[in-house]
Amino acid sequence: MVYTKSEILTFQKLSKNFYLLKFKWSSENDTPLPGQFFTIRVSDTTVPLLRRPFAFSNFDITGNTASFIFEKKGVGTEMLAAMGVNEELDIIGPLGNTFFQPQDDRPIILVAGGIGLGPMLFLAETLQRGNKVFNFVFGAKSKTLIPNQNIFKNINPVICTDDGSDGFSGTTIDYLKSINDDGILNSGHLMACGPLPMLKACHEFALENSTSCQVSLEQTMACGVGACMGCVVKIKQEPGFARVCKEGTVFNSKDILWT
Amino acid sequence: MDLSVKIGKSTLANPIGVASGTFGYGSEYEKLIDFSSIGAIYTKAVTLHPRAGNDMPRIIETPSGLLNSIGLANVGVDKFITDKLPFLRTLPSAIIPNIAGATEDEYYSVVKKLDSSNEIFGYEINISCPNVKKGALAFGTDPEMVESLTENLRALTEKPLIIKLTPNVTDISVIAKAAENGGADAISCINTLIGMVIDINNKRPVLAAGTGGLSGPGIRPVAVAMTFKVCKAVDIPVIGMGGIMNDEDALQFFLAGASAIQIGTGNFVDPLISNKILEGVQNYCKEERVNTILELHGLFLS
Repeated sequence: MVYTKSEILTFQKLSKNFYLLKFKWSSENDTPLPGQFFTIRVSDTTVPLLRRPFAFSNFDITGNTASFIFEKKGVGTEMLAAMGVNEELDIIGPLGNTFFQPQDDRPIILVAGGIGLGPMLFLAETLQRGNKVFNFVFGAKSKTLIPNQNIFKNINPVICTDDGSDGFSGTTIDYLKSINDDGILNSGHLMACGPLPMLKACHEFALENSTSCQVSLEQTMACGVGACMGCVVKIKQEPGFARVCKEGTVFNSKDILWT
Repeated sequence: MDLSVKIGKSTLANPIGVASGTFGYGSEYEKLIDFSSIGAIYTKAVTLHPRAGNDMPRIIETPSGLLNSIGLANVGVDKFITDKLPFLRTLPSAIIPNIAGATEDEYYSVVKKLDSSNEIFGYEINISCPNVKKGALAFGTDPEMVESLTENLRALTEKPLIIKLTPNVTDISVIAKAAENGGADAISCINTLIGMVIDINNKRPVLAAGTGGLSGPGIRPVAVAMTFKVCKAVDIPVIGMGGIMNDEDALQFFLAGASAIQIGTGNFVDPLISNKILEGVQNYCKEERVNTILELHGLFLS
C-alpha cells in the first residue's frame, strides 16, 4: 500500500460512458493483483469529498504501468473523465485481497458484467501467464455498452446482451446454463465481478452445479483502508459483516449472506 | 514555540488528534503516514462486548459531507487490549480510547479493564453517538446524567477524562458545564449532527438505519460556533472538531478557544492531513509571534 502521485499516460474511450485510463505504476510500489483496487482523490475541493475506489484492470511490470476501466456516472467520474494525459492522479493502493487461483485442471469460467470487466480482464491475463485455460463471458445491457474488441486482446470472450442486440441474447448466467446441459462446467471454478444480481445468480449457479465461486464485490467506501467500517457486506460467519475494502473485494460466494 | 497541551495532569505533545471512528485502531494507516505529527489517536469506540454494527448501507456522501451510521462496530474491550493495544503502544502519539456503552455500568467496566495499561493516556467518553438506539445519545442530552456519569468515572481513574458532546441538543453549554461539574478534565465537541438522505426512487432513506451522523466540511461552521460556545461556558480545555480539512480550518477552532483539535473525515480524503495541519499551525504561530495555543486564544477579537 502506497500513497503516491501518478501520471496519466493514455486515456481511451471504450464505449458509451466507459473509459480506459493507463497510468504510471512503478514496480517499486506493491504489485497490484486481480481483484485489488486503489482510491483516487479526484478533486482538491470538497466536491466530491471522498476518494473514489477503482479496480485495477492491468499491471505491466516491464512497462511500469497500470490501468483501470471506469464508467462516467457521477460527479467524481465526470471530473476524472475530464482529466488529460500528463495530469497526475492522487492514488492510494493497491488495496484489498485477490482471487484465489485454482491449482487443479477443472474448467475455469470468468464472468464479467458491465464495469466489472476491468478486474476480470486483469485476472484473465494473469491466468494466461500461468498457462491456465478458461472461458470468458462478458455481459452488457446492450450493444452500445460493449467496448471495442481490442480491449480483450487474445481472450476471445463470449458476449451476452440483455436486449439481444449483440452476441448471446440473455444474461451471462443464461449463457452458462445454456452450455451446461451435459454438465461440462460441473465441479469447475467460477470467478465473477459485476452487478450484485449477476453475482447472486453466479452463486446460485455454482451451488446447483457444484462449482466453486469467487465474487469481487463493490460497495460505497469512505476510507478504503479498513478504518471506517463503512463498506461492509453481510457474511454468514461472526461478526456478521466483512469490510469489502479489507476482507474483500473477493469473497467465496458461500460466505456471503445473499438477500 | 511550545504547542504542547495540558489535559488534566498529563500533556499532549501537540494539539493535533485524529477523531474516533476515522482512524480505526491506528494500524490501518501504518503504511501510509508518519505518526509523529499526531498528538493523539482517539480510537474507534470501545465497548464492553464486541459489536457487529448496523445494517448496510452505512455511508453516503453528501454535499461537502459524509453521513454515516456504523453503529459502533468494534472488537470489544478484551480484544482491544489483546489485539489492538500492542500496536498502538509502539506509536509516539498519545493513545486515547473512545469509550461507549449502552448502560452506565458498561462505561465503568470498560474503564476498569483499561486503567492498568500505562500506555493509555486517557479516555474520551462517547456520550453522543447518534447511531445507537437507547443508551449513548440519551446520556449526552441529559445534564444530570452527564454529571453523575462523569463523577462515577472520575472516581475510577486518575487518567485524563474527556467527555465528547453531541451537538444534537438545545444548549450544548449546559451539557459541557455538567461534565465539568462532574470532574471532567476536558470536553471534546462536536460529534456528528443527525441527518437523513432519502432515495426518491425507492422512496426510503438511503442508510439502512434511516438516519446517520453528518460529518465533514459541510458542518464546520456549526462546529466552530458550538466550540466557541462551550469554550465560553467552561474553564477546562476544549478539544474542537468538525470538518477540519486544512490548517486554516484548524486555526478557526483555536481562535474560538479550543486547546486541541481532532481531524475526522479529513483522514479519509488525505491520510497525511495531520502532518500538513501541524506544519501550517506552526507557521501561523511564527507569523503571529505566538508561542503557545493559549496565546492563540488571546488573538481572537470578539
